Amino acid sequence: MSKKVTIALAGNPNCGKTTIFNNLTGSRQKVGNWPGVTVEKKEGMLRHKDYDVKVVDLPGTYSLTPFSIEEITARDFILNESPDIVVAIIDASNLERSLFLAIQILELGRPAIFVLNMADVAEAKGIKIDEKKLSLLLGLPVVFTIGNKNKGIDKLVDAAVGEIHRFDEGKESRDIRYSNEIEACISKVETEISQSKVNIESVLRWTAIKILEDDKIVKAKFQELSSSASTKVFQTAKACRKRIVDLFEDDFEIVLTDDRYGVIAGIVKETVSNSAIKRIDMSRNIDLVLTDKFFGIPVFVFFIWAMFQLTFSLGAYPMEWLGMAVSLLSESLDKILTPSMFKDLLLDGVVAGIGSVVIFLPNILILFFCIALFEDTGYMARAAFLMDRVMHTSGLHGKSFIPMLMGFGCNVPAIMATRTLESEKDRILTILMTPFMSCSARLPVYIVLAGSFFAEKAGTIIFSLYFTGIVVAIVSGRVLKAVLFKGEEAPFIMELPPYRMPMLKSLLIHMWERSKMFLKKMGGVILIGSIIIWALSSFPKTISYSVDYDEAITALTSNYSQQMMLAGDPETAELNRQFILKVKEIKNKKEQERVSKSYIGRIGKALEPFFEPIGIGWQASVALVTGFVAKEVVVSTMGVLYGVGSDEGDALEKALKNSGMTALSALSMMVFVLLYVPCFATIVMIYKETSAKWAGFNLIYTTMVAWVMSFLVYKMGILFGFG
Amino acid sequence: MTDTHEQEKKQFKRLFQQQGVEQFNLTFQVLEAFLKLEKHVTIKDILAQLKADDVKLDEGFVLNGMELLCRFGFANKIEFDDKETQYEHRHIGLHHDHMVCTKCGSILEFKDEAIEKLQHKVADAYGFHMLQHKMEIYGICSNCMAHRDERVQLHKAKKGEKLIIKAVDAGKNMQMRMSSMGLKIGDLIEIVSSGFGGQVVIAAGENRLVLGKGMAEKITVQLFDQGKALDSHEDTPPREISLPPLLLSQLKTGQEGIIRKVSGESILRRRLLEMGINRGSTIYVEKYAPLKDPIELVIKGYHISLRVEEAANILVENVKYRKR
Repeated sequence: MSKKVTIALAGNPNCGKTTIFNNLTGSRQKVGNWPGVTVEKKEGMLRHKDYDVKVVDLPGTYSLTPFSIEEITARDFILNESPDIVVAIIDASNLERSLFLAIQILELGRPAIFVLNMADVAEAKGIKIDEKKLSLLLGLPVVFTIGNKNKGIDKLVDAAVGEIHRFDEGKESRDIRYSNEIEACISKVETEISQSKVNIESVLRWTAIKILEDDKIVKAKFQELSSSASTKVFQTAKACRKRIVDLFEDDFEIVLTDDRYGVIAGIVKETVSNSAIKRIDMSRNIDLVLTDKFFGIPVFVFFIWAMFQLTFSLGAYPMEWLGMAVSLLSESLDKILTPSMFKDLLLDGVVAGIGSVVIFLPNILILFFCIALFEDTGYMARAAFLMDRVMHTSGLHGKSFIPMLMGFGCNVPAIMATRTLESEKDRILTILMTPFMSCSARLPVYIVLAGSFFAEKAGTIIFSLYFTGIVVAIVSGRVLKAVLFKGEEAPFIMELPPYRMPMLKSLLIHMWERSKMFLKKMGGVILIGSIIIWALSSFPKTISYSVDYDEAITALTSNYSQQMMLAGDPETAELNRQFILKVKEIKNKKEQERVSKSYIGRIGKALEPFFEPIGIGWQASVALVTGFVAKEVVVSTMGVLYGVGSDEGDALEKALKNSGMTALSALSMMVFVLLYVPCFATIVMIYKETSAKWAGFNLIYTTMVAWVMSFLVYKMGILFGFG
Repeated sequence: MTDTHEQEKKQFKRLFQQQGVEQFNLTFQVLEAFLKLEKHVTIKDILAQLKADDVKLDEGFVLNGMELLCRFGFANKIEFDDKETQYEHRHIGLHHDHMVCTKCGSILEFKDEAIEKLQHKVADAYGFHMLQHKMEIYGICSNCMAHRDERVQLHKAKKGEKLIIKAVDAGKNMQMRMSSMGLKIGDLIEIVSSGFGGQVVIAAGENRLVLGKGMAEKITVQLFDQGKALDSHEDTPPREISLPPLLLSQLKTGQEGIIRKVSGESILRRRLLEMGINRGSTIYVEKYAPLKDPIELVIKGYHISLRVEEAANILVENVKYRKR
């Protein structure tokens, strides 16, 4: 009989937790989100002797205070899901700070073991840790590991399983003792709680400490259990807190934090011996260049440029192949299947829809490989260090820079790249601002419109559009920060971890797991979305055309065939050419009418009053509505609606000029394209990465901003006589 | 001195006749009595002098008179800690400072050109325009010092004394508690107050700490001789008093300091503490980002970055350049 146990891995960011997790579980892992929050949750399985071990990787944190979602998530998991054991992973080369978290984990009262990782780095630094003494002092097993060399991993599992066993036999975790004043407070509150006879689920001492620390979550939970008892307990806690403030002139939690460091200093003193080995600090030397006053930013720009090139230029080849594969598939399906509605659905809906997403896969793979490389080497923190000043002006974090920049390529991977941001508020803000970065799909629209109406000034106009996008993003950032995220600025305290050689295995796991999530999530929603859009544009099937086009074509055919029969050889070719052109014209007209009378066309027409004040006619309105699917579609829809084939750039230019569109309305339309919802896939991504609320907000917000800006451009233009 | 006194009297006559002071002659008597007395005098001293001169004036009149003299710059009112108000001669253009013994209460006058100059220098450094100053040094006079032990137990130390912790005669528990309060042997402390049931309130750095009698008894302290510590280099003081603490954001690349205080909003403060930025730790400024904003710092052996505005919440002392 195999026994099932759950191990939770906890530790600071950059302590090598992920490496240990990968070593433990190999490729058998599941990446998802923690319920309700967008913190990545990783799970994996392994077999050890008689045990089926489930390993859960908790978010990397420095503490267990209830200030960030990561910390709450980690704490809640340990308390509510009760893993059989918590493995606190400690960076042996950075013992003091790592112990701060480890001791808080110990205080939760769950079975725990301490793992001293990166033992080799510590040794090279001249740090010797007496693990037996540490184990004795804290009353739990202590294991050394070297994560990236896969050393000590078996011992880790052994120790974990052994400790679970000991707890089954009645072992209890050891308490950490603080100074007398603090202890007096703790025991007072403890007594009060136990007298109240409320059945708290967590450890008494821990609950007492948390109530004393004025922990809102624990207090709320306790109040729920018994509001009468809580009043009394909270009063005692308040009196104790006041006493501490009187004595130390500082809040209880601050005094306790100081005290914890006092305890840790004691432990370190007992167990660590330092031999002064002077060693070249590689990280420092690398940073002499990478974060240098002069070289830092150029080098960073180069790295970003390289990433951009790799993602969008190198990625363009496999993207093309995939595109070809998709069209090959649709062509062969076209041949095999007999014409039916199902065929249309399959070809124009499913294959086209899924195809339009699948082609992003190479970009996503490369992008995530680059990001994983930045993260695993430690460069990501430096990038944030370099760019924070810039991003801070719009209320963002330094790490927001990379996603924002990726937005110029494609908003979908850019939004996924925001996962590197630890604070959810920063992440949401970055996600909301990214769509203002003009993605590559918007460029064809600018090229057609600016090319048609601004001729040699087109370059300047397109550049100004990109620039406008950036300005709108910055202003939006500031406004949203001031309105929606008021007073919740997370402090920018970021560790700059030592540079480390990345491990290919972990890079690949990183890349693949995130890409897989992209495919899985996008697949479902995009499929449904594509079908809806397809249905809107191809129904109703029975359209009463104003002219009988088929009749016209038949008439034309008979007319020309008669003429051709009568004509001589040289004229036949000329007549044939005329014939083909005329048929095409009629067919275009038919398609034009069909699209305008389809549901999507009706929506476009219905929206005409909405677009009228910004100088956009009904054809362009329909194009903008279809542009919701993807911006590339805007140009092809305009092609259809202005009665030319989508592949004829020159003809479209003429048609646009003849349609009465002015330079000003073209500019207004470009501004609108720049600022409104980039595409359906982006909205889905926002929904997946945040919530329906934020996706809806983004939809409305971007459209509103787009309309207001276009309106301003258009009306100002008229005012200054450019109409 | 008599010359100056004669001059003062002349000026007094001119000034007060111009102003048309009531009872001019009687006020003049007060001045005469006051000028006869050197050093610092109380109203009682003046009354005694007047009595000796056979002038009969009541206390209220003398008090008013002295107020008047102060207003016109003939006398200086000095109010030392918990003592009767005293007056001293004020000779325009001449200035001196005071040393007050907290034990016997004697007052010494002194003047030091270097200090006078230094005050201007300090004021200038802060962009402060100095108008006047008043300096009172409290301490123990040489006479009292001669009859005093070098080392005492903390609970016997006097208010205001600066002391160095020399020994702690206690178990491990208490030593741990002391270190958790941030106290260790060699630290400089100041007695804020003492005597309420043996309880001693001390200042260590920016913090006030309360020690019970039991704890104070076990701590042996030695009087911190500032003069000696500043002069001799062998026994360097534990904290350099001469340098004012700086904000971390004021430090330059390559400087390090010892964290003295972490302030700011509760969350930020706690975050900083959790990341190991706590009192007593040494923090080193590795570099500023190219755009001058985040600062890269080294603390407890690892690198961390903070925004300048956040670093402004951290007060550091003993700032100096570190060689790498």
